[in-house]
Amino acid sequence: MTGKKARVVVVQCSGIGKSFGSVSREAAYELCEQLRPDETELVALSKLVLGEEQARERVRTSPAVTIDGCKLMCAAALVKHSGGTTACEVAVLDVYRRHKELKPEGIAELNDAGKQLARVLAEEVAHKIDDIGRHGARAGGRRA
Amino acid sequence: MPEYLETVVDKFTFRVATDRLYHPEGIWVRPVPGGALPRIRIGVTDFLQQHGGDVAFVSVKAVGTRLIEGEEVASLETIKVNLSLPAPVAGAVVEVNAALEPTPEIVNQDPYGEGWLAVIDATAWETDRARLLDPQAYFSVMRAQVEQELKQS
Repeated sequence: MTGKKARVVVVQCSGIGKSFGSVSREAAYELCEQLRPDETELVALSKLVLGEEQARERVRTSPAVTIDGCKLMCAAALVKHSGGTTACEVAVLDVYRRHKELKPEGIAELNDAGKQLARVLAEEVAHKIDDIGRHGARAGGRRA
Repeated sequence: MPEYLETVVDKFTFRVATDRLYHPEGIWVRPVPGGALPRIRIGVTDFLQQHGGDVAFVSVKAVGTRLIEGEEVASLETIKVNLSLPAPVAGAVVEVNAALEPTPEIVNQDPYGEGWLAVIDATAWETDRARLLDPQAYFSVMRAQVEQELKQS
């Protein structure tokens, strides 16, 4: 027994062309590259859309956290469609509602408020990933 | 008459409730009982909520606010735009939907029901009512707006 913990898979909204999608993308990068690089692994939504087997296998065998830009919740839906279960589903809009002062604007380049919102979101998700690490994933997708 | 008039465009279905009147900018108006003056409930149409996108915040003028027809009665901040909503009638705000603050998403989920915005005691109801559209007329206006959107996209 190595005791090595399974990495949490993070799947975020592709969010092309929309500010809230850009926030989800920035948050996922912040989370996986800065805050919890050893505990997380980013899986591209586009690979799930295309049905790439390696990506599908990752979401089937690891707890998944999804970050979506809008209420269509494409990332959460694609994880489930790929045979995975979401340990936690986060919508940028819900986080923005708690931080009205951080209105995201811009697409290719988010404004400062949008970048700050992405950091806040990433930190919230990092804490949830810590919980998953401590208590294990619960299937069914807790909405953040 | 059916409960809704519907049109399907691409993957979107837009519905117009047939039991109320409409301001052409996407506000519905429905008389409700009570009050010495004609009392009406207002909200946004299915088309407006879909066009605007997910609602983040709703701000409605406070109870007691007196409005002239066309003056802003509410504003919606969505993930795409900020929308200023004109009062479809003159009058005073007598009730604001308290559920909008904790759950603004009800505007998207149920625009003709739980997502209503406010109740207004109308001070010039007969005059204002004559300017409002019946469901079929608004349905035509909405379809024209949808077609305009398609041309621009």
